[in-house]
This record gives sequence, C-alpha cells and structure tokens, in this order.
Amino acid sequence: MAELELKPVRTRILTDKDNIVDMIEKYAKDDVGPDDVVSVAESVVAITQGRITRPEDLKVCFLARILCRFIPQEGSLSSVYGMQSAMDAEGKWRILFALLIGMLAKIIGRNGVFYELAGPQAPLIDDVTGTMPPFDKCLVYGPENPKEVAEEIKKRLGCYGAVVADVNDLKRARVVGISEGLEPNNLARILIDNPFGNASQRTPIVIIKNYATAEKRAEMV
Amino acid sequence: MEFLITILLVALVVAIAIWLFIARQGDAEFEFLVDQRTDFALEELTEKTATFSCKVPFINKGTQGGTIMDAYPRHLLPHEQFDGVEVSSRLELLSAPPRTDNYFESVIILAGEGDTVAVTVKFTAKEGSIEEALGQMAELTVDMAIDIVYQIVARTPWYIHKTRMIMKCTEIMNAMQTKSAAK
Repeated sequence: MAELELKPVRTRILTDKDNIVDMIEKYAKDDVGPDDVVSVAESVVAITQGRITRPEDLKVCFLARILCRFIPQEGSLSSVYGMQSAMDAEGKWRILFALLIGMLAKIIGRNGVFYELAGPQAPLIDDVTGTMPPFDKCLVYGPENPKEVAEEIKKRLGCYGAVVADVNDLKRARVVGISEGLEPNNLARILIDNPFGNASQRTPIVIIKNYATAEKRAEMV
Repeated sequence: MEFLITILLVALVVAIAIWLFIARQGDAEFEFLVDQRTDFALEELTEKTATFSCKVPFINKGTQGGTIMDAYPRHLLPHEQFDGVEVSSRLELLSAPPRTDNYFESVIILAGEGDTVAVTVKFTAKEGSIEEALGQMAELTVDMAIDIVYQIVARTPWYIHKTRMIMKCTEIMNAMQTKSAAK
C-alpha cells in the first residue's frame, strides 16, 4: 500500500518575474499524481508576487523605532524595519494596540496575543536574512490571497489538494492558505520537520505523495 | 487642572521609563578587529598577477543581535601614488560556504559573538611582470589602505561603517619572499 512520502522539488531561484503556479507546473508536474498534495513555501509565493521591500526603501516612523524594542530579538519585528513593514501592512495603530494588549496578556501568562491581534501579515513578515540570496537583503511580506493560490495550484495540476505553508527549522509550521477539503492541522504536522530545507537547498515545493490514500486509511482506523 | 497635570505627569513617567528601558537594552555594535588580523600571505603568483589574503576577526560587542547586510573591501591605491598595478579585492565570511561571486550573504551575529572574514587582494601588473611592479611599489614605500565597509541593521536604522587597515609594502614583499623561500 502506498505510503505517505515527502518529495522536495528543486527549482531555480524564483523571482517576481515568475508566476508561482507556472513554476510549480514546470518543475513538479511530472511527479504530481491525483492522490498528492502540493505544498509551497509562503515566502517564495510572496516573492513571486513582488511582496518584498528593501530596508533602504522604507521610511521609518518614530513609533516603529520604539515598538521594535519590545519584540524579543528572535522575532522578525524586532528590527526597526521589520516593525515598520508590519505597520505599513497592518496599520501602525493596530500594531500599537496589539502590542499593548499583548504585553498585558503576557503579564497574566498568555503568550502570542500580539500576533493574534496584529493582523495576518505580522507573523508572516521575514526580516533581512530570512530568505535566500538575492532576497537576503530584503524584507518579505506574507503572500496575497494564499487560499486562491492553493486552489489554482490544485486546479492546474489536478492533484488532491495544495497548501501554502510557513515552515521553519524551529519546528514551527503554519498553514497560510489551503485548498478546499484539506485539514490544515494535519498538514502542519506533516510539514513540521521543514522538508523545504534551508534557503540554499532551493526546494520551495514539496509534494506530499499519497496524501489522499493515507488520509482515507487514517479515517478507517 | 489637577487632572490635566496628573495626565502630563503620567505621560512623562511613561516616557522616561521607555527611554530607560531602551537605554538599558542597548543595540548591536560591530567592530572589525584589524589590529588582530593575520599578515597578508601570498595565495597565487603568475607572471602578471599576485593574489594575497589575510584574515580579519570581527565581533558584535553590543548587547543586542545585529545583521551585517553587506560587507566589502574598498582598496585605495590612486594612480597619483602608484600607477604600476591594477587592484581588485573581495571579502568572504569564513564560516559560510565558499563563494566565487563576491556576494556577501546577510548574516545575523548575536550579542557577544563574532566571526572572521578573509580579505583577498589581487594585483595585476600594467606592464612587465608583477614581481617587478610590486618591487617598484616597495621601492617607493607605497602602502595601500583598505577600508572594510559594512552595512548594519539592528534595533536602529541601518548605517554603513568603515574600518581601515593598511596593507604595507613591506608586508607584500615579506609574503613574496616567504613564498619564494618555501619553493
């Protein structure tokens, strides 16, 4: 019986000149079957959508300089440009409000409230160094309309489903966009070990082979 | 009136508290330790070219992590000073996989940590052999300044900083002689 298998697909560096669905078709079509789910890294989807900016092109406001100080160093918004890009994407008053409530929530022991309130783009922003060259010198926002992207991938490749995911080496996996009928938590679990690899491996597409069969088997059990 | 004064006082206290928090938190602070660099060593010698390299450590001596977005060497040998060679230079992070494209990939350096870069300088003789050209350079006691230029981004907006080191003509000749002796 066919087993669930993760198959990374190597591509050239994708840029804002590329259409992500065209590129997935070009590099992965021959390996994708009707039982498979195609997953793609959200930062690469965002890059192909041109959702990148250089720190040098951002005008930093006073509030960004202050608020970035309250984000732990590991977070992308801890740099003044990460914070400014979040403010540009979600509005600076929303970010201020989210940070104040987040700090209060932390006092009573609840973490993650800031990112819950700061808007969908805030947790998806990658600061400089977050992606592969030549985009290592850019900030990358989250993708636009990730669900529609997933649906289009599914339609074009005739696969069981598609998912746009934000995965890193810190064992964090988040489904950003998903085609109809798939279970996001299950896919996040499958992708938790970051099969996309690091930037230099250039494998922004991962085919989850035999997903439909494995899902049916799990339901029967 | 009392209410207004209270509001102003609270705002003042909050502003001072934030200022103290930021001051205490600090920021990244990078230093290229050119006084701890190795001597230039001759890496490659041909009839027309000589390539030297040295290692320069650097450290983030600040209290916050920071990112080196870009770094490159800027050699300064104006023809008014010496016109016998053409110079090219490049810089590489030693802990990163070797590159041949002279591209510096952005790197995060945590507070208190550091790394080492290799600075490579290639001289090409405009006329005659490189050994003759570098010999003339030494005769004229021409030392060459090299600025390590680096762009930093951290908690504060990006800035570009330069640290100067001097590639002395005596160091070049020593490296040439060491290589000859080794041969």
